[in-house]
Amino acid sequence: MKLRFHWAFLLVAALVPVVGLFVPAARSLGELLRPIFIMAILALGLNILTGFTGILNLGVAAFMALGAYAYAILTCDIYPFQFGFWPAVMLTVLVGLLAGLMLGLPTIRLRGDYLAIVTLGFGEIVQDSLKNMDVITKGTQGINPLPGPTFAGYMFRSETYAPWYYLFLGFLALVVLLNRNLQRSRVGRAWIAIREDELAASCMGVNPMKMKLLAFSLGAAQCSLAGALWASFLGSSGEPGNYDFQVSIIALCIVIVGGMGNIAGVLLGALVVIGCNSIVLETLTNFLKAHELISSTNVYTAPGNWKYMLFGLALILMMRFKPEGLLPSRQVKAELHPHEPPPS
Amino acid sequence: MTGWEVFLQQLIIGLSNGMIIALIALGYTMVYGIIELINFAHGDLFMLGCFAALTLVSLTGDLPVWLVLMLLLVLTPVFCGGLNWLVDRLAYRHLRDATKLAPLVSAIGVSFVFLNLGLFWGGLPLKVFGFGKAAAAPKDFPTLVSNANLLGSSNVEFTTKDLLVLVITVPLMVGLTLFVKRTRAGKAMRAVAQDRLAAQLMGIDANRVIGQTFLLGGGLAGVASVVASLYNNTIYFQMGYRAGMDAFTAAVLGGIGSLPGAVLGGLCIGLARAFADQYIATRWTNVIVFAILILVLVFRPSGLLGAKHREKV
Amino acid sequence: MSLLQVDKLTMRFGGLVAVDAVTLEIPPGEIVSLIGPNGAGKTTVFNAITGIYEPSAGGVRFAGHETRSEFCGSVAVLLLLTGFLTAGALILLCNIESLWEVVITGNYQYRQVFQWKPANIAFTTYFSENSGTRLILPAVFGLFLGLAGAWAVWQRSRRAPEVAAHAGIARTFQNIRLFNQMTVLDNVLLGMDTQLRTRFWHAALRLPLFWRERREATGKAIEILRFVDLDREVNQLAENLSYGHQRRLEIARALAMQPKLILLDEPAAGLNPAESQALMELIRQIRERGITVLLIEHDMQVVMGISDRIAVLDYGEKIAEGTPAEVRANPAVIEAYLGKSDAST
Repeated sequence: MKLRFHWAFLLVAALVPVVGLFVPAARSLGELLRPIFIMAILALGLNILTGFTGILNLGVAAFMALGAYAYAILTCDIYPFQFGFWPAVMLTVLVGLLAGLMLGLPTIRLRGDYLAIVTLGFGEIVQDSLKNMDVITKGTQGINPLPGPTFAGYMFRSETYAPWYYLFLGFLALVVLLNRNLQRSRVGRAWIAIREDELAASCMGVNPMKMKLLAFSLGAAQCSLAGALWASFLGSSGEPGNYDFQVSIIALCIVIVGGMGNIAGVLLGALVVIGCNSIVLETLTNFLKAHELISSTNVYTAPGNWKYMLFGLALILMMRFKPEGLLPSRQVKAELHPHEPPPS
Repeated sequence: MTGWEVFLQQLIIGLSNGMIIALIALGYTMVYGIIELINFAHGDLFMLGCFAALTLVSLTGDLPVWLVLMLLLVLTPVFCGGLNWLVDRLAYRHLRDATKLAPLVSAIGVSFVFLNLGLFWGGLPLKVFGFGKAAAAPKDFPTLVSNANLLGSSNVEFTTKDLLVLVITVPLMVGLTLFVKRTRAGKAMRAVAQDRLAAQLMGIDANRVIGQTFLLGGGLAGVASVVASLYNNTIYFQMGYRAGMDAFTAAVLGGIGSLPGAVLGGLCIGLARAFADQYIATRWTNVIVFAILILVLVFRPSGLLGAKHREKV
Repeated sequence: MSLLQVDKLTMRFGGLVAVDAVTLEIPPGEIVSLIGPNGAGKTTVFNAITGIYEPSAGGVRFAGHETRSEFCGSVAVLLLLTGFLTAGALILLCNIESLWEVVITGNYQYRQVFQWKPANIAFTTYFSENSGTRLILPAVFGLFLGLAGAWAVWQRSRRAPEVAAHAGIARTFQNIRLFNQMTVLDNVLLGMDTQLRTRFWHAALRLPLFWRERREATGKAIEILRFVDLDREVNQLAENLSYGHQRRLEIARALAMQPKLILLDEPAAGLNPAESQALMELIRQIRERGITVLLIEHDMQVVMGISDRIAVLDYGEKIAEGTPAEVRANPAVIEAYLGKSDAST
């Protein structure tokens, strides 16, 4: 079996904590990689919708929020449910599935750009509703504290990062496997055909409504999974303001920067986008703070205040020079063996 | 106040806000109609216009109010229109033939750049910006147009501000309609919007026309920012998001690409917000607006006045 | 008993009448050509047959049935289900916070054991107190909304191309519409979609059905590609093929649907005489496989060479119909389309 990029990525990632036993830099890298894995799962969920099927969704943060809150409600001891980690995660995925279905059903026949604005609005109202229903969601306080995940009787604690690391990596590998299986199957073919030419696809017998609903449900389920993992990572559901438009846009940028429809591209995109934000910017800020160059009354001195500008410029330049993304999917495919017998 | 008076008051508020939303939606829908781009940066352009207006006000200090208003209404649209045109020239022009998502991501990038510019603008050491000490905080916009009730001592208030909104927006919309329908430039815009290649074959320079559309759309956003600043008396650098959301929703509700649709959509959203605020609860207003949007789109997928999209096979 | 019956089909687009009361009867096993000047409405007829357009008047019957989904029990169930779900959702939405308080927080003491006793779940008292606005209004409103919305969506999807495809009608397009970024093999496999049984859980979990069906489908696809002589380009991207090969791939994709009727829209456009001959042979072989062929074409050699019957359209009306010899000699056809000096071609 040829070693594709995403399997190589996962393999290397699996080795980081091992290296981290000896090299402290690898250890801090490992700690920083955990949220990247979760965001990669979120972006892969968006990838099903936008990358495969061509449905632009500008509000995936809503599904992540629903996942996080569902998980929190199911596990926190201020409510009587108190499920364990694994049942709670499974129920959360189900919640995501239903939410995707709920958004998809009334909107499935809308043209792409109308649908995009509707998803944008959906992202907003989920955020608003979570904030408003504070009897259930505790408003801006969030639902906390949440117990950590358990595996074979052992409960994760926040001091050691390695079990968390492998847990999230494991989920990521599972999600990558599932997406890959779907992509290289009748389902994936139908999705990509819909993206390419929906009319021709329907003339060939593909039911675009059914396939789009499937994409909505599965994509939403994945995003909710990311939300559940995020909540368990934080030990809290977080507040509704955490799941805003910016999160949705970051997920979209990961998918597009990495290469739409290409799972390996999404992984790379997550690494690049979040890595830049959390690792590079953080280090710079810490450096400047240490040298006392940041003033609270002068807005131009804190690197964090340049975040939007840099991100925006990066997007503009990226689209100017490499709009198909870092690892475009068809290029990868076309580069390899156009005349060989079909791949296994 | 009697129930009837409450209703009338909300009607006035809704219509005034609706007209402002309509102006922003117009600029957005014009750009969409011509290059099918969801211009994310449009709301933030509106925000920058507000900051430009505030800067202008601070620079014109002691001039008589009517002169300040004139300057605002001339210079701010020029600023916004020019900025919009520049962004098209730099960021979108090369992407005319790329996939649909490339200009969209570019627009998102521009929106972020504008957002940051708004933050930095508020950090300028000017008096109106609090000398730059709290760049992120909202800024007050001076009351250049009074809040006096034109209906005398009635319970229902129709203030000078509401009159200002009407006096500026209605002629502007009429002028826009005439421009698009009667002038050559307007006709060229409609041609490029319908079929760019055919228009080019007729000798129309599509890129120039598209640039003009951005200029015009930006100008409309500029006027909206002046009116909104005078009406609300407060600006903040994140206000582009809210304005953009309302404008997008209004444009989609009315039918993307349709100018009367944008106006109708804007008025609907403004009224819906006002009535939802009053009769249900402010915290649920966004949800109500979204529900109305979904409802309309289920029964009319192209929006209220949108053209049915027929694919050529 | 005709396979396809087009009955006084009329298509109006705004003020323009593109197709005017056209009637066609296609018996099974024939090769029928539809000819006429550009703009005569030929492709519009195709689009009406395949469900892309809803007829303004008249109808299309394929194998005795109209090519649109009929209202039946399962549709009614779906509509009612949507209605009830919407009603339920609205009731929940209006009451969720109070219900939560009544059921959960009102009964659950922090860190104590929760008693899931029915007596603790005071639904009935809650609803009996507030039934008017809290229960009846959202229920009725939601039911109505759900039914109306589902009905609107269903109506719009009744005559959809996939309905015609499932009935057994396949087609190619005037301007080639291949899936450019998919391989030749994937294009054909996509055409085969109506024949496949794999569901998404088979694919996600790689169950045995997935592997078995993939093997069989790939085999069948390669056989079809061999039939159109494209088996050497199996893994090539569709957009990299030459024009002639792309036309053949479109036909292969249509054949993969195992159709009873295949509509070919100008398949010989852009082909040189040798390629046209090969195309004619291919169409004959398609007929030998038991598939009825309806053909739009401008190349008169091809049309006269393989058609059993020809129908002629002009300005949306059918002006002639008959065997090639009859049509060739028809003065109205010569006037409108063939031209007097080309009457012998």
